[in-house]
Amino acid sequence: MADILDILDIEQPATEISRDSIIHGDKNKKKYVTAKAVKRPEGMHREVFALLYNDNKELPPLLPTDTGKAYKQTKARLGMRKVRKWVWAPFTNPARKDNAVFHHWKRASDEAKEYPFAQFNKQVSIPSYSESEYNQYLKSEDWSQAETDHLMDLCQRFDLRFIVIHDRWDRAAFRDRSVEDLKERYYNICSILSKVKTNPWSNTVTMVNGEKRVYHYDAEHERKRKEQLRRLFDRTQEQIDEEQMLLAELKKIEARKRERERKTQDLQKLISRADSGTITPSTPTNHNTEPPGTPSSMAANMRRHDRKLHKKKITTQQRPMRAVENVTVEWSGIKFPEARGTGVWLRSQRMKLPPGVGQRKTKAIEQELRLMNIDIAPTPTEPICKHFNELRSDLALSIDLKNALASCEFELQALRHQYEALNPGKTLTIPASICNTSVDSDSKPVGEIIDVVGSPGAMNTTI
Amino acid sequence: MSGPNGMLYGGDEIGALVFDPGHHSLRVGYAQEDTPKADIPAVVGVGPATHIPNSEEKVPDGNITQTGSKTGSELRHYIDVTELHVPRPGMEVQTYMKDGQVDNWDLFEKMLDYCYSKVIRSPSEHHPVLFTEAVWATRPVREKLAELIFEKYQAPAFFLVKNAVLVAFANGKSTALVIDAGATQTSAVPVIDGYALVSAAARSALGGDHLVAQAKLMLNAAHIQMLPIYSIQSKEVIRERERARYTLKSLPAGLTQSWQQYMLKRQYEDFCHCIAQVSESAYDERTAASVPGVHYEFPGGYHQDFGPERFKLTETLFESSLAAPHLACAAAAACDADARPALWAGVVCGGGGACVTGWAERVARDLAARAPSSHRLKSHAAASLAERRFAAWIGGSILASIGSFQQMWISSQEYDEGGKGHLERKCP
Repeated sequence: MADILDILDIEQPATEISRDSIIHGDKNKKKYVTAKAVKRPEGMHREVFALLYNDNKELPPLLPTDTGKAYKQTKARLGMRKVRKWVWAPFTNPARKDNAVFHHWKRASDEAKEYPFAQFNKQVSIPSYSESEYNQYLKSEDWSQAETDHLMDLCQRFDLRFIVIHDRWDRAAFRDRSVEDLKERYYNICSILSKVKTNPWSNTVTMVNGEKRVYHYDAEHERKRKEQLRRLFDRTQEQIDEEQMLLAELKKIEARKRERERKTQDLQKLISRADSGTITPSTPTNHNTEPPGTPSSMAANMRRHDRKLHKKKITTQQRPMRAVENVTVEWSGIKFPEARGTGVWLRSQRMKLPPGVGQRKTKAIEQELRLMNIDIAPTPTEPICKHFNELRSDLALSIDLKNALASCEFELQALRHQYEALNPGKTLTIPASICNTSVDSDSKPVGEIIDVVGSPGAMNTTI
Repeated sequence: MSGPNGMLYGGDEIGALVFDPGHHSLRVGYAQEDTPKADIPAVVGVGPATHIPNSEEKVPDGNITQTGSKTGSELRHYIDVTELHVPRPGMEVQTYMKDGQVDNWDLFEKMLDYCYSKVIRSPSEHHPVLFTEAVWATRPVREKLAELIFEKYQAPAFFLVKNAVLVAFANGKSTALVIDAGATQTSAVPVIDGYALVSAAARSALGGDHLVAQAKLMLNAAHIQMLPIYSIQSKEVIRERERARYTLKSLPAGLTQSWQQYMLKRQYEDFCHCIAQVSESAYDERTAASVPGVHYEFPGGYHQDFGPERFKLTETLFESSLAAPHLACAAAAACDADARPALWAGVVCGGGGACVTGWAERVARDLAARAPSSHRLKSHAAASLAERRFAAWIGGSILASIGSFQQMWISSQEYDEGGKGHLERKCP
């Protein structure tokens, strides 16, 4: 018995009063271990948590129980109060102008107050004008006064629903007009009247900083828009299909174009790579065909480059594959993006390195800048921006070139060792002109030897 | 109207009546109810009063409206099925409707008298009256109606609404392209913000009556005789497609042609109700044959299954260029381009013709094929057939019981002051 009561959590009635129960009365009382306050895990809904952990750590009931107060009162509480009487009472509606009396049911206890639905009686304010005002300001060759009056009347009746106004336009009395014509006339009248009249009646006038701003209706634009819309809607299924087909074709063409561009770029990279790798053989021919040191103009440079492009194909075919080919000048300078998106932007944004520049290069540029005692983030005035960007572009180029040079030298040394190993006893003498180890390497600007592709800034480089 | 917490609910009933006159029937009832109180055939039987009903067809005399004094030449008007469907010699059946509008005002008055005395059973002075009208209703008809309601029936207030607007309201929309399939006409009307665009409305004479006429042709071609139910005394149970065995009732002499035609038409209507079904796509013999047939027993006792005929019958409603989907396209095309997207997004079907099984689905399907693909198309028809059939009346019931509508009525005071001129201004 006691166990069941325990399970059901019912207070055990102190039926047996014995000596024992008096002495150990307090101990017999079951002490419930209050569940440790478990913290609700992040993200778990309160309701779900409450199901799992209630005060007694009990399971939630299997059957729905409707005892106690829930979120809402489930049953109407029928009191013993007297019912309130309803009466069929007359009322007047202040939204009506004629004081007509209708009847409706209301509670007898409710005091008479204004008809609550009258508050929904909203009217659009339409400008009005007198005869003289019309003659003075609103005359138009296109519109007669009777027609204008009719328009204003319809605007009032249909609350500026111009499509409905157009539908109900009195075509017997006046000529047919488009929705745009009606709107144009109406807004025209509004703007004229708002200029000459002082009382603010119109919803087309807004006050901005104390001055009147009149809504301007661009009828021509609206007509064009409507015409476009009409054409768009009136397309036949064939036209739509054709358009879809053309769009798909355009996408295909664009994809092909991009592919082609990508291939050209790859080719150019390849060329520039080959360029830096084949300096030695190509320089003599260069010297033969044209006098050195005349990279005066871009055009000349480009021409030479073009010619070399053809040549390169031949040379690469002739030359046997080298053992080591890791000399690359893949990239030259930094291209700072010019036009950003619309809107206002900070000029310092222009000095941000484009995302294509890697972490290492950024670090290297910063290092160089520090060596030159230049602030990494100078004040972005217009000239500073320009020059700073140019400088960094050149720095990047110089870093690239230095790397290329280092790898070239490495290759050279490697080849020399290879040569010496293959031909023991002999030593390869490297001509001074291509050996960079000597101090007089700066006798010739590198830019003349290595033709850096695609960097106009490289022409006047100052390494 | 307003709740305990000061919230304002939409409804405020002022005991208004809603009348929805149609070619097939007149719907009448109290606003705020969900179905009309009565659905009365829109015809009046006019016959000599000399006829004394037989004992077995005795009906409460109250249903008979009498006119004039009890002289030999007086005419009685028989209204509603309990009176109308009784065979009476010399009783002509006449309709008061023409082209969607009330045409014979004397008969219509009789009808209104009947509505007030037998359906509403309350003095007309107590109830504001809301009437529905066809979109193409003409000014003289509207004014005549206002005159009748105010001057004869002394109604405290009156209002006229286009039925297309009410169909839209009944479906919870204020902007919709309403396809109303009536008995004599099918119409497509664009409704913008609760105003019907009259100039863009399209209509055709392809309605429920056309379907009934087709049913008649079909049965004649199949040599199935449709006997009027009133002429059958008794019939025997027979096997399917067996020759009918029945005995005819002895009918009073002098039954008019119009009444017989009317009764026969009711019979064909019943036939259409039972068997007509619209196929999902254009009629195809094989798909139609795969649908199980529907059994129908004619008044004479003859009975058979109807299979593909059911679909062939309704196909006449869709194959012509005056079909509902074509009308909808024409109506939408006549609208301003700015309004079209909203209209296509809310195509609403209503009317008795929309109750034919599969009609709304077929319209939706045909529209999807015909409507410009640049628009989002959504067609809607109420799920329950009563809501479809009484859509205009239900819309009127909703409108007349909205609190903010109560300022719109033309009151009798206004009518006394301004006369009929108010009608055009207040009831657009």
